Amino acid sequence: VLILVRSPLPRLRALLQRCWGRLECGLWPSVLRGQSPPWGPALAVQGPALVPRGLNDASESSTEAPSLLESILWMAAPKQRRTIEVNRCRRRHPSKLIEMKRNIDVCPECGNLKQKHVLCGYCYAKVKEETRLIRMEIGKKEGGPFNAPTVETVVLYEGEKATEKDEGKRIIERARKRPSWFVQN
Amino acid sequence: SGAAWARGLLSWARPERWLASGSLFPLSCIHTSTSLQKIGKWEKKNRIVYPPQLPGEPRRPAEVYHCRREIKYSKDKMWYLAKLIKGMSIDQALAQLEFSDKKGAKVIKEVLLEAQEMAVRKHNVEFKSNLHIAESLTGRGRYVKRVRCHGKGMFGIMKISRCHYFVKLVEGPPPPPEPPRTGFDQAKEYVQQLRNRTLVHTL
Repeated sequence: VLILVRSPLPRLRALLQRCWGRLECGLWPSVLRGQSPPWGPALAVQGPALVPRGLNDASESSTEAPSLLESILWMAAPKQRRTIEVNRCRRRHPSKLIEMKRNIDVCPECGNLKQKHVLCGYCYAKVKEETRLIRMEIGKKEGGPFNAPTVETVVLYEGEKATEKDEGKRIIERARKRPSWFVQN
Repeated sequence: SGAAWARGLLSWARPERWLASGSLFPLSCIHTSTSLQKIGKWEKKNRIVYPPQLPGEPRRPAEVYHCRREIKYSKDKMWYLAKLIKGMSIDQALAQLEFSDKKGAKVIKEVLLEAQEMAVRKHNVEFKSNLHIAESLTGRGRYVKRVRCHGKGMFGIMKISRCHYFVKLVEGPPPPPEPPRTGFDQAKEYVQQLRNRTLVHTL
C-alpha cells in the first residue's frame, strides 16, 4: 500500500524509509507477515486468525493455551460503521449542547456586563493598571530588591498633603488626580 | 544609454510616484486582493437589491449577511456555539459569548460586532440593538494533513481543520420560541392523518 505522507523534514523521511526497509527485510517480527490487511500506521488489529499457523502445528498446539502474543489481539473494535444519523443523535443530544448562562448582570459602576459571582472585568482591569503604576513608583523609590521599609505606605495624588495621621509612613506620590474609586482615609 | 534605461526603470519602480499622481491610476481601487480570490456566495447575498415596496405592503426588515473564512477551529465545536446563539437578540448573544470559555466564542463575538457595525453604517438599520440572529451556520474550511509522530517509529496522519462561520442578522425583535410539541399535538396530528385518507381509483 502506498501511503502518501508529506514529510517536509528530511530526518523524518529518512526515519520512515528505514522503518519501511526494516519491514521489508523482516527484521521486525510483525504478526501481519504474509497476510492481508497490509501494514499501516498505528492500526489496531483484531482476531487471532491472522497469526499464521503451520499444518503440523495444528495438532500439537490445539490444546495449547493462547500465548501472550495472541491474547493481546482480542481487542474491542467496532463492528459496523456508525451512521451519520446515529452520530447526529449523539452529538446533538441536549446534554451535549452548551447551556445558556442566566447569571449575567450589568455592572452598576461602569455599565459593562459581569457575571454575578465574579468581579467586573473592566473595573478590575482599571484597578490593576493603577496598582501597576503605584508599584512602579514604589520601585523607583526603593531602587532595588529587598529594600522594603518596615513602615506603612500612603499614596497621595495631586494636590494632597500628608496629614498628622501619616506621620511615620512612607509616602508615594502619583502625578494624577485621585480616582473616584480610591477613597482617601 | 544603459544607465539611462536603468534610471528610467528605477524611477518607474519607485512607489511614491504612483501614489502621488492620482490621475495616472484613477481606477486603482478596483484591483484589490479580494477580487483575485473567489467571492463567496454568502458575501454576495449582501448585494441583492429589492424593488421598491408598494405603499400597502408591510415593511421588509433589513437583513445583513456576514461571515468569516478559514478560522482555526473545528467546525463541529463551532457548531455548538452557533446553535447557542441561533434566534437570540444580538445583545443577548454577545453577553453569552463574552462569558463562554470556548475559543470560537471570541471569534464569533468579533464577527457579530463587525456585522452590527456594517448594519448600522451601510444597511440602514436604525438601532443597533434592534437586531436578532436569524441564521448562524458553520462550514468546513480547507483541511491540511500533517504527520503526527507516535512511538517506535509509527506515525499517524493528523488533519489541521479550519472552519467558516456565517451569520445573518435581521432587524426587529427576536421571534418568540415555538412551544415544545406535546403528546396531545402529536395525537391530534395522527388523528388528522387518519382522517385525510381517501379511497383511490374508485368512483
